[in-house]
Amino acid sequence: MTYKNSSAPAGIYKKTMAAKIWRYKWLYLMLAPVMLYFLVFKYAPMYGIVMAFQKYNPFKGIFKSPFVGTEVFRKVLSNHNFWISVKNTIVLNLLVLVVNFPLTIIISLMLNEIRHLRFKKLTQSVLYLPHFVSWVVVAGIARATLFTTNGGTVNMLIESLGGTPKSFLGDAGWWTVMYVIMNTWKEVGWGTIIYLAALTGIDESLYEAAYLDGATKMQRIVYITLPLIKSTVVTMLILQVSRVMSIGLDAPLLLGNDSVINVSEVIATYVYRLGIVRNDYSQATAIGLFQSVVNILILVLADRFAKLIGEEGII
Amino acid sequence: MTLGKRNKSNDYSGVKESFTLLDVFIYIFIGLAAIICLYPILNVLAISLSGYQEVLSNSVTWYPKNISFAAYKDIFRRKQIWQAMWTTISVTIYGTGTGLVLTTVAAYVLSRNNLPGRKYFSAIILFTMYFSGGIIPTFVVVKGLGLVDTLGALFIPQAVSVFNFVIMRTFFRELPESLEESAQIDGATELQVLFKIVLPLSVPIIATVGLFYAVQYWNDYFQSLIYITTDSKYTLQLRLRSFLFGQELDAQAQVSGDRGQIMTQSLKMASIMFATFPILVVYPWLQKYFVKGMMLGSVKG
Repeated sequence: MTYKNSSAPAGIYKKTMAAKIWRYKWLYLMLAPVMLYFLVFKYAPMYGIVMAFQKYNPFKGIFKSPFVGTEVFRKVLSNHNFWISVKNTIVLNLLVLVVNFPLTIIISLMLNEIRHLRFKKLTQSVLYLPHFVSWVVVAGIARATLFTTNGGTVNMLIESLGGTPKSFLGDAGWWTVMYVIMNTWKEVGWGTIIYLAALTGIDESLYEAAYLDGATKMQRIVYITLPLIKSTVVTMLILQVSRVMSIGLDAPLLLGNDSVINVSEVIATYVYRLGIVRNDYSQATAIGLFQSVVNILILVLADRFAKLIGEEGII
Repeated sequence: MTLGKRNKSNDYSGVKESFTLLDVFIYIFIGLAAIICLYPILNVLAISLSGYQEVLSNSVTWYPKNISFAAYKDIFRRKQIWQAMWTTISVTIYGTGTGLVLTTVAAYVLSRNNLPGRKYFSAIILFTMYFSGGIIPTFVVVKGLGLVDTLGALFIPQAVSVFNFVIMRTFFRELPESLEESAQIDGATELQVLFKIVLPLSVPIIATVGLFYAVQYWNDYFQSLIYITTDSKYTLQLRLRSFLFGQELDAQAQVSGDRGQIMTQSLKMASIMFATFPILVVYPWLQKYFVKGMMLGSVKG
């Protein structure tokens, strides 16, 4: 690159690092507000983690509250409710993963086989739609019409088939099923978009050659399509397994109620009750830290595993 | 193989393939999946538009019976829900605007291959995806800045989404570098390159990321729950929650029951439709963009 198009006085700074940086001054200036945002709202809170090692006092603040070492952690780790929330987080996440992950791949493969373009477009539009509906609405649908004991759609169906109505919202076992169903309803369709994106790059002549060689549709799916999306599948699996300890607060809090709290209390709702409702900042921060550390450990392990089986990994 | 190169249509190059049993199964399965996705929404719409007796007897399925707009008239009369609607519209506009500007700038700058230090800046951003201070330390910072119980708390603390940054950066990286270089040789400044060359080529990804931000703010429940304490500042989702799961509507329905007989159920369903309607309206328009944007942004991501 010649220094003609550089805005710096090229004769002086030529080829030095400073000249390079000066050349891109506008870009750095544009980037500054973004970096400031991350500094203030993502990195400053990381400093706040010290609260987990303090007996935090809101009147003294982070800088003056007394340090107590690992006392807060010992308190958290010896609390029965904490372990229940950890267990529930893992159980709910794994159940959703076990149902949604294969279903997403199956539906993607099926959508990829549909040659009727209008049918494909229409069904895709409808399948993506639930992702754009809020959890408040989804919970409203589940609790007010779909799974209500008296007159709910599902119970009416059960009754018309001769069964007895179930208390889907009040029974711990059924509540878990309902939680998984609502997650499946909301996210499976949307999940297909990533596999369909991976499949758009496929060379059509591969299918054609297989067809001419007499391969059946099933054989083409198994021997051509599946291997082509394998790396996407592995990446998605790593990402989702590494999120097994993170859970949104919306779904469990909005779908849950007091009678199922033993299965619906997850880390996010527990931190919310402890930190925001009861103002125990130290304990809530400690739980957040525990969660972040476990997340990173799982992510690293999953990444190693992916590399072990010859995939790219994500870090 | 030469036979196949003749056309690039989506079916295997004009080879007429028979419709197998597997195809029948696929069409039925996908069709059913679509019906399952759509039914609950149709059911909500139908109940919100049906008459008192029909809702009372639980006989409404996917279409309205004895059409009545009474529930909507009742919902529209409530000042609270309009207030909440206005709050949510404001937050969505501010949040989407801020998010789009910051994300586009960051993604554009950090997609430039020869920018010194770009790897470090990217790393600083990406690291926050894997490790965070957590809910409470973030809350303490927001509180310290005096943002609690203001509209600002609903979008400033989460102004840039790392996921959106990643798909946008992937998109910009795919643009040919020579475009920008030739423009610069012609004397265009960095800002001119961004506005005159890069942005016009990036409509699908901007629409996609804009939609993601807008939906995130429109549907937000968590941020409003922890940061908003004053009733008059409630967002749409908070208001909807108190309508759906609180006692507000039950008491009201008894009163209006004397006037025109509306089921609480219809009111609840009408408020769901009220809160979801804007999304349902823009969804078909934006769909072609976000499908394209996701494909382009995520292929290599």
